[in-house]
Amino acid sequence: MAMAGTASARRSRGSPALRREAWWGYVFMSPWLIGFVGLTLGPGLASLILTFTRYNVLRPPEFIGLGNYVDILTRDELFYPSIARTFYFSILFVPLAIVGSLTLAMLLNSHIRGKVFFRTLFFMPSLVPIVAAAVLWVWLFNPDWGIVNQGLRTLGIPAPRWFADPRWALPTLVLMSLWSSVGGTRMIIFLAGLQGVPEELYEAASIDGANAWQRGRHVTLPLLTPTIFFNLVLGIISALQVFTSAFVATRGGPAYATWFIGLHIYKHAFEYFNMGYAATLAWLFAVVIVSLTILQQRLSARWVFYYGGQ
Amino acid sequence: MGGSDTTVSAIAISPAHRSASERARRKQRIVLGLTHVVVLVFGLAFSFPLFWTVSSSLQTWQELRSYTPHLIPSVPQWGNYPRLFAIQPMARWLLNSFMVIAAALPGQILSATMTAYAFARFRYPGRDIWFIIMLGTMMIPSQVLLIPQYLLFNQFGWINTYYPLTVPSWLGGGAFTIFLLRQFIMSIPRDLDEAALMDGAGPFRILWQVLVPLMQPALTTVAVLGFLGTWNDFFGPFIYLNRARLFTAAVGLQFLTAAERIETTGEPRDHLLMAAATVMTLPVLTLFVFAQRHFVQGVVLSGIKM
Repeated sequence: MAMAGTASARRSRGSPALRREAWWGYVFMSPWLIGFVGLTLGPGLASLILTFTRYNVLRPPEFIGLGNYVDILTRDELFYPSIARTFYFSILFVPLAIVGSLTLAMLLNSHIRGKVFFRTLFFMPSLVPIVAAAVLWVWLFNPDWGIVNQGLRTLGIPAPRWFADPRWALPTLVLMSLWSSVGGTRMIIFLAGLQGVPEELYEAASIDGANAWQRGRHVTLPLLTPTIFFNLVLGIISALQVFTSAFVATRGGPAYATWFIGLHIYKHAFEYFNMGYAATLAWLFAVVIVSLTILQQRLSARWVFYYGGQ
Repeated sequence: MGGSDTTVSAIAISPAHRSASERARRKQRIVLGLTHVVVLVFGLAFSFPLFWTVSSSLQTWQELRSYTPHLIPSVPQWGNYPRLFAIQPMARWLLNSFMVIAAALPGQILSATMTAYAFARFRYPGRDIWFIIMLGTMMIPSQVLLIPQYLLFNQFGWINTYYPLTVPSWLGGGAFTIFLLRQFIMSIPRDLDEAALMDGAGPFRILWQVLVPLMQPALTTVAVLGFLGTWNDFFGPFIYLNRARLFTAAVGLQFLTAAERIETTGEPRDHLLMAAATVMTLPVLTLFVFAQRHFVQGVVLSGIKM
């Protein structure tokens, strides 16, 4: 690299050192780049093309123009309800999940004994594989033999039929999703955020006569807004994609009560093998997710506060 | 932590001050006591479902359906576990899951490390755009890519093989993993690279001999998260594998829920289902016990601020 000295002095585009650096950069990036082109970009474009076709895997795709779009937007009786249901799930789940995780993090950030023990206790449910969590919640909330209803009956409280009742199935699913995520990474992220609040800000606020509530409202909360925003974006993206828990616990039922857009796409793709139709559903759904994320990014300027600029 | 208490009592000299500070202290103690109660209630609520899973797995089905439920099995039915393994290919499924992880995880770590190294240490045209594109891929709903990927792997004749579950791991290892490792490499001083460069080391040697040893904590975190991700993954194995012998543990467990009763005897299968759920969760909890701090590390590494 003795010659690199003179070359770097000019930093021109064509200098051998820079060219070599660029070459190595692409060499090291190549596994991801190949994967991106072969497994993301290529398939992404292919699925976009599929949306204009009728394709059942056995016979070659048949071009039908905007047929799938028209069918979905005007004839598919399950499409709008499944979108609405997915939003309903997210609107119930995301705020509760964020408030829940933040509450647990604040509890763990107070002067309690046995912090590590409780952190472990809260964290454990998030480790349970979703399939296992769904299986065990179906059992816990079994209308006839489940421990929850046995307990409610003992106390003389009328017991709902939970996953078996169309009105209760979705809220029960929300409850289950809360159990398996409130104490997980989201809580740890909040905990790290809380611990990152500079101690001197609390001291300054105390000297100014702020009580505990005011310190929380005017010091902790503003400083946590970037963390809340981060969790909100991730929370909405994952909530809208709800699939496995509903698929294992209720298979979309009863009476379509938990038939989310993820299940709708799955059914068309892998049970009816309507690949073109399913790809169209997936793309419409992707547009919704991406525009929501961009919208949040725009709105964030109004409420997210970055300490020390940036 | 205890610092504020001592300052308060040091300032409080006059009796009036003292009683005020004592009141404040008592209030503090009550708040702390209430916090303990709340934490305890939450702790119980969170752990009860897990406790009940294990307890259910050790009862007979008659006991599970008795009028007053037994929180603790009257006689622990350890035999439920061998029975589960005897009537279902549970051992096979667990082994399959471990095999998929053994084939996917090294690739995920290797390719993510390489890509992270490129993003963190080299300057080249297009790097920043590629980086943003990579972060953007995290936003794409999985369904959009699953359909064309399924069709692609179907063309390759990869249905009912483990290739769709392992080969992609060798190609980048996931945006989040790359991002995490890139952040970590950025925190390692460049002087170390440059010193090695002076000694005539090439990029591969710098990565392997200088950076990778320093990246141990990050790599362990990534490995732990990768293990969990693959172990818990349901949708991929579910669409690519449709022979019971090939199932991973997650798909196998889902498969068990399909039948309400045990085929041979006609008895309810709830106790065995709970045993299966326990068996599937056990490896993850074991991993957690040994690598607890790496979970926290993963969050810290991701930088939160983004």
